[in-house]
Amino acid sequence: MKQEKSMLSPLKAWKYLVKEPVTVSKKDIFVKPREAADRYRGFHVNEHDKCTGCGTCSEICPTDAINMIVLPDQPFVDGKKNERPAFDYGRCSFCGLCVDICTGDSLHMTKEYVHITPDVNQMYFMPDELGIHQKKFENGWLRDEVSELLDLERYEMKHEGVSRKSSFIEIVKGFSYEMALAESSRCVECGVCTQTCPAQMNIPEYIRTVYDGDLKKGIEWIYKTNPLANVCGRICTHKCESACVISNRGDAVAIRWLKRYIVDNTPMDQYEAGALAYVTEKTNGKVAIVGSGPSGLSCAYYLSTLGYEVDVYEKNALPGGVIRYGGPEYRLPEESVKKDILMIENAGVNFICNTELGKDISLETLEEKYDSVFLGIGFSYSRPLPIPGSDNHEVKFAIEFLGQARDYNRGLRAIPDISDEVIVIGGGNVAFDVARTLIRLQEEKYGKSSVAMAALEHREILPADLEEIEEGEEEGLKYSFGYGPQAIKVEDGIIKGLHVKKVLSIFDGEGRFNPSYDEEDQKIIPAKQVYIAIGQMANFDFFNEEMKNNIEFFRGKVKVNDNGQFDHYPWLFAGGDIVRGPDIINGVATGHDAAKAIDAYIRSK
Amino acid sequence: MEVNKLKEVKLFLGPQHPGMHGNYSVHMYVDGDIIKKARPMPGMLHRGFEKLMERKLWMSNMAIIPRICVIEPDINEMVYAMGVEALAGVEVPEKATWIRMMILEMARVATHLFALGGIGGPTGLYTSMYWAVAERDLILDLFEKLTGARVYHIFIVPGGVRKDLPEGFKTQLGTYLESLEKKLPEYQELLLKHPIIHTRSKDNILLPAEVVHELGVTGIGMRSATGKAYDLRKVKPYAFYDQVEFEVPTATYSDALTRIHLKFQEIQQSIRILKQIIEKMPDEGPVKAPIGTGNALKLRVPAGMVYTAVESTRGEYGYFIVSNGKEKPYRIAVRGASYPQGLLGIERYLPGHRIDDAPLWMDTMGVCSPEIDR
Amino acid sequence: MMNSMNNLKEQLKAHYKIAAFEEPTKMQLAFNVEPDKTLDVLAYLKSIGYGQLSLLTCIDWIEIEEFQLVYILFNWDNGIHLLVRTSIDRNNPKFRTIEHIYPGVKYYERDVHEFFGVEFEGNEDSYKHLFLELWEADCPLKKDFDPLEFSTNRYGNRKYETNFPRKVGGE
Repeated sequence: MKQEKSMLSPLKAWKYLVKEPVTVSKKDIFVKPREAADRYRGFHVNEHDKCTGCGTCSEICPTDAINMIVLPDQPFVDGKKNERPAFDYGRCSFCGLCVDICTGDSLHMTKEYVHITPDVNQMYFMPDELGIHQKKFENGWLRDEVSELLDLERYEMKHEGVSRKSSFIEIVKGFSYEMALAESSRCVECGVCTQTCPAQMNIPEYIRTVYDGDLKKGIEWIYKTNPLANVCGRICTHKCESACVISNRGDAVAIRWLKRYIVDNTPMDQYEAGALAYVTEKTNGKVAIVGSGPSGLSCAYYLSTLGYEVDVYEKNALPGGVIRYGGPEYRLPEESVKKDILMIENAGVNFICNTELGKDISLETLEEKYDSVFLGIGFSYSRPLPIPGSDNHEVKFAIEFLGQARDYNRGLRAIPDISDEVIVIGGGNVAFDVARTLIRLQEEKYGKSSVAMAALEHREILPADLEEIEEGEEEGLKYSFGYGPQAIKVEDGIIKGLHVKKVLSIFDGEGRFNPSYDEEDQKIIPAKQVYIAIGQMANFDFFNEEMKNNIEFFRGKVKVNDNGQFDHYPWLFAGGDIVRGPDIINGVATGHDAAKAIDAYIRSK
Repeated sequence: MEVNKLKEVKLFLGPQHPGMHGNYSVHMYVDGDIIKKARPMPGMLHRGFEKLMERKLWMSNMAIIPRICVIEPDINEMVYAMGVEALAGVEVPEKATWIRMMILEMARVATHLFALGGIGGPTGLYTSMYWAVAERDLILDLFEKLTGARVYHIFIVPGGVRKDLPEGFKTQLGTYLESLEKKLPEYQELLLKHPIIHTRSKDNILLPAEVVHELGVTGIGMRSATGKAYDLRKVKPYAFYDQVEFEVPTATYSDALTRIHLKFQEIQQSIRILKQIIEKMPDEGPVKAPIGTGNALKLRVPAGMVYTAVESTRGEYGYFIVSNGKEKPYRIAVRGASYPQGLLGIERYLPGHRIDDAPLWMDTMGVCSPEIDR
Repeated sequence: MMNSMNNLKEQLKAHYKIAAFEEPTKMQLAFNVEPDKTLDVLAYLKSIGYGQLSLLTCIDWIEIEEFQLVYILFNWDNGIHLLVRTSIDRNNPKFRTIEHIYPGVKYYERDVHEFFGVEFEGNEDSYKHLFLELWEADCPLKKDFDPLEFSTNRYGNRKYETNFPRKVGGE
């Protein structure tokens, strides 16, 4: 190798003596710091109103530099925690992983990089929109689709194809093992969903059991707060999913379907062991529960885990209430209902069917025979629609019809009396249950279907789930949303159709229900039967006069304290629809709360 | 070696000594200014990385590992990513592979510059240090544009890289390479031909081939002694090193000056590779492939063990990664390239040299204390 | 390269009855060796070109109470890495040095001794501390050593000042 040596060559460096230095002069370092590159990973900014407080940044942080600080004066909002991240810049490694995984798109890095202090406590900040020094700096490192660390797209389950409308086979197929594993890996375990779930279910914990493949543990987690695991795994209103932080930038984690995966795939012996893990000996007292819907079942199950003997009174032939007679078979197969109720029976709960409160047994008798009584009677009657023609015998009501359809599915009765051209009034999920059940029955009876729907609300503001609207359309429902029913057109006692007018507004200037119509846009939708599905209500006739006077009623519900206890009647509790309105998971939650309160009440006696 | 007890003095070199090379310490027993016995004292930079990595998520580790080798952090990211990809069976997209190579070669240039500058300290030739550090800073500017950070880039991740190239980056890099090429002859004049450098390094600090084999030295040390192109980029090409043309400089007589020359030639080869990368890299295409499903918190790497290695400026640099299929690695062992020369090498072959040659010994042998300590 | 890999497998099978091989990645071969044959195998491998010991390390399989020693060898002429693994009792972690085969292993053995407590008979320095001068706790890379617990006990937990002047949504 040639290794030249020259005495003179180093002198060539002297030419730089007169050249501009390439370095930054010392006085400029603080006065006018060099501007950082566009992607610079400098100090953070956090848009506090967008931040969900999920803490995912803190979880991914390699140096434990991020602490979630509770801000107690922050109001509680669904989908958000009242926590915000604080950064210890003595630990921060400026990797930017927190920015890349931020669920709320609130955390960014800036070009700011100068902060000098000899005091270690002055390195700890909770950055907001203006960063740590309350000085605006340009954004530096931002997340993009390449650096993204979340998995934003849901792993979709298979659905039955178009042929589904001719059968009551369950529409949504369950997750396969691979799909469930993939879906569970999208969860960041922040627990925002738990905070939103009426029953405060331990959602991250049971999703984790799917990821870890420990389903028995999953059953235990679910039964801690919800004994209707099968039912809620299918038809829960999943408020958790609308709160899910992943939904801020992508699809919410399919929490409901993961719950369903757990209950469908745990072997029966493990399932039972998990479900009954906390059931104890019944030595503490006796409780009567009226109504075997979600709230009654939930209350009964938790009372049996707290050591009470429980009798559940049910007016129908089978226990379950809305889950037995309400939800359609294609969403909620009979097997699921049976499995949930079986577990509750195995927990030692006693069911007394065909016994209606106020008719077969009085509230006074119950008060006498039991230490406490829980009312979970539900909204089990359809709300009537007082328009001309609604007294016709071909006007049917949602609750009765759905019950008949379920009994038909169960082989307990003949096919309900349906005609080949019908209209359903209403725009909620129940209305869709009715309409889509009708389609299936028509296909079975006539080999073709013709079901129209009308509702006051326009399609965009319809109360029903989007998937119901879309799937119903696929199945051939004919929508007239945004049309208010005026009269049922009857000729010679036979229904010819429904007269509707275009809705301009539903509420008046003061926010009262007072629809106004476009007189120019009216039509008659032909039909031979009309199904009314505009809401449900309860029947409180079993209360005696004294009780009716002492109990406060509002909007068809009763007023109780937070634990479901009546102010004047400490032995009496209520839950479910008559406390919070119709919703299964609210029923489960109020039932559970009441069970704890009943336990406390009986212990204090 | 016989030590005269009366004349023996124990001298602590480092870790806080301006003449020391890195945060490293050597206990030397000297007779006059000749080292008679040397004991390497590593651990000044031991941060427990291997233990730490077992306790962090696969993705979180990305922010920790670059710190294992401070001056050339990118090799850590690369071997870690290669290991995870091998276990997960993931193909890296084409463009991402080119970007990775680009980063690795930029880092090689920057590190060699730093090492060449480092010769300034022990030899008293501070101009070379200023020049080289300023020159390296221009590469750090490019790194800042590309990765958002100057030193710890945290940019190569399992599956690819974190972001696509910023606009105009290839042009900027091209311009810089032109300017560096113009500047290189001046380094030659200043450094390689410098009489001081020659006096201090020629026929000094020898590394014969049998010592290479005894210690297990790799990299420039090995190539300068054996005359063979033992470079992992050639012997076992990773990324797209089999798709670019370059030469591996070698020699058959390894003194300090030869090794300085090889470093210099490697800079030239890296410039050559970088130019080809600019040319061959596609404009479009994905730069990251997913490793499994889910978010980074839940990332699991299939169970297994694998050893991945790249050619660092100091030789074979590798990670041995063991996964048990969970969210955190089960075990990661780091093979720092300077382990052989930095520990056994100092113990056996530093004696016999003069005290003031000790830092020069460490610089030209390629001893990087953080990768020994981990 | 494929040839040399298959050749090697056959040789190892013929001489040392090693039958189970894994290929974790291309040009890499991993296999287990009985502890008492390990030194012979390593010496043999060195003689056929695997002249470099890239790494000696250890894995703590605490559940089955084993330490697995992994010798990573490299052949610069064919580019093949070998992971030669052998298992020893975790409760009596003793093995023999291979300094006479690969002199460069001296400090790796000290390293493994320091972090896992494995004694290498024949390596006279192996019991000395290398990185952890004045360390008194258990070997830190063993799975039952909890560094967080150690540092909390020793240094306490850092207390943070959490009274932040600004609330959510700015001032």
